[in-house]
Amino acid sequence: MIRVMVVDDHPMWRDAVERDLAQAGLDVVAVAANGREALARFPAARPDVIVLDLQIPAPNGIEVTAEVARQNPDIRVLVLSASGEHTDVLAAVKAGATGYLVKSASREELLAAVRTVAAGDPVFTPGLAGMVLGEFQQTGQDPNEPRLTERETEVLKMVAKGLEYRQIAERLVLSHRTVQNHVQSTLRKLQMHNRVELTRYAIERGLDADD
Amino acid sequence: MTTTPSPAAIAVESRLFAALAVLRVVVLVNAVGLNIYHRNSFDHPTAAAVCVAAMIAWTGVAIWAYRTPQRRTKVLLVVDLLVAVALLLLTADVKGADFRATIPSSWIIGALLAWSAHFRARGGFTAGVVLAAADLSRRQELHQSDYGNAFLLVLAGTIVGYLCASLQEMATEREQAERAAAMAAERVRLGRAVHDGVLQVLALVQRRGRELGGEAATLGELAGEQERELRRLINAQDSVALGSSGPGEDTVNLTAELARLERVPGVTVSTPGYAVELPAATAHELVAAARACVDNVKLHVGADAPAWVLLQAHPDRVELSVRDEGPGIPPGRLEAAASAGRLGVSGSIRGRIADLGGTATVTTGTFGTEWEFVVPRPDLGSTP
Repeated sequence: MIRVMVVDDHPMWRDAVERDLAQAGLDVVAVAANGREALARFPAARPDVIVLDLQIPAPNGIEVTAEVARQNPDIRVLVLSASGEHTDVLAAVKAGATGYLVKSASREELLAAVRTVAAGDPVFTPGLAGMVLGEFQQTGQDPNEPRLTERETEVLKMVAKGLEYRQIAERLVLSHRTVQNHVQSTLRKLQMHNRVELTRYAIERGLDADD
Repeated sequence: MTTTPSPAAIAVESRLFAALAVLRVVVLVNAVGLNIYHRNSFDHPTAAAVCVAAMIAWTGVAIWAYRTPQRRTKVLLVVDLLVAVALLLLTADVKGADFRATIPSSWIIGALLAWSAHFRARGGFTAGVVLAAADLSRRQELHQSDYGNAFLLVLAGTIVGYLCASLQEMATEREQAERAAAMAAERVRLGRAVHDGVLQVLALVQRRGRELGGEAATLGELAGEQERELRRLINAQDSVALGSSGPGEDTVNLTAELARLERVPGVTVSTPGYAVELPAATAHELVAAARACVDNVKLHVGADAPAWVLLQAHPDRVELSVRDEGPGIPPGRLEAAASAGRLGVSGSIRGRIADLGGTATVTTGTFGTEWEFVVPRPDLGSTP
């Protein structure tokens, strides 16, 4: 059974999500109303998936994502955002989230998304794919930074154009699994890209002097 | 001049007085030294010693008194000026009427600059005139240099006063600007919290409505429309904020412009997470071409038919695509329209993109129709 933790400061919304997940046979092991509670309950609850609202009282969803990913690299974070603000969603994905859904998504979409991220596969919207593409197309990229392969770019473009994995697999004559692997690898590279940026930032500021 | 000064202006004044305290010590040492050097020219050496002692004592009092803003009263400034004037006037009695150098000599600029710092240009001018008059009034004969010194006193007092005023105004303005920026940031933060709450409720109504069906489903749909609209607005605002530091006014942020297309039902717009600045004409043509494609989808596929718009920004070019999952354009239709002399929608789209020096390609089949525009991107010098 998939162990899920729901983090949202809106009680009405939290209850609705919890009920939907429980009815579908998932195990809601913990709920939290803010970042502090989430981080306090996370180690004992040992969820497989965290369904996380970005706009929560401090520490915010992005910081929570970064911290849980640090503690447990296998954790899957599905971000639910009401506003879908580009910069926030992108920051959460860079911090380690592997799925993103707007809150108005239906019950079925939510359940499918939780199951997908639990299985280790990313949940992308076309909007998020467009942003991720944008990150790799920026000017002044360091040649040492991870780049997307042609195939990965092609797949990501198709996701951004609204094609489903099934359709992409058909068009490129690939298996569904391979398409998912490509998408997953773009996310990994984006997170790596972020780490390269952070490291460079640290070196520039002389933060690496001691350890 | 009488309006209550801002904290920033007071801080500036405090720094000026701190600098003046150092200056007072320097001019005091100079004045005492000169008096010792001229010790043989005094008619009344004891009186001279008293004058010098008074000068030393007052310097100490003044440095202490001017240190705190509350003690910088009119009384203090008037007394400060009177001490300087008294020492100037007493010179004739102590040294004899034929004196050349005054007892306090340059020490008087302590009082002068205090007036400049506190009462600005007008105060500096007033103190300068008073000190100049006191200096000249008791001289037996006026030398060119005496007049020159007096003139410099008035001039320096006024100019330094003006500069002090400018410094204080600038500090006040900066403080106001900082406060305005902080307030704006706080408003944005509050706005986000409010919007987020509204979006949460709209999303919930939409979700539950869909599950309950019937009238509730209609309500849910309405909530959904508003939710999309508000989300679009917030994201458009974000793009504006991102682009505001970009190049000049003749460029347009294509990211924000394309976001408007999401208003059309069924349309999903994907863009980079940053502003994409293009010359205004190029950006508008691209948006118009994309809009024409979207309109075409609505016309040929259906009013609610989904369409996806994707913007990719490479350093040297932008790629814009519009995709639908309609039945595709029947083979030969575009050619037939062209040979019949009709330009048609696709012709006008191609024309627009060709005018921008780009290419427009259309792929069509049972999977739907996809337009792709590639337009070169001029080097605007700065990309995020």
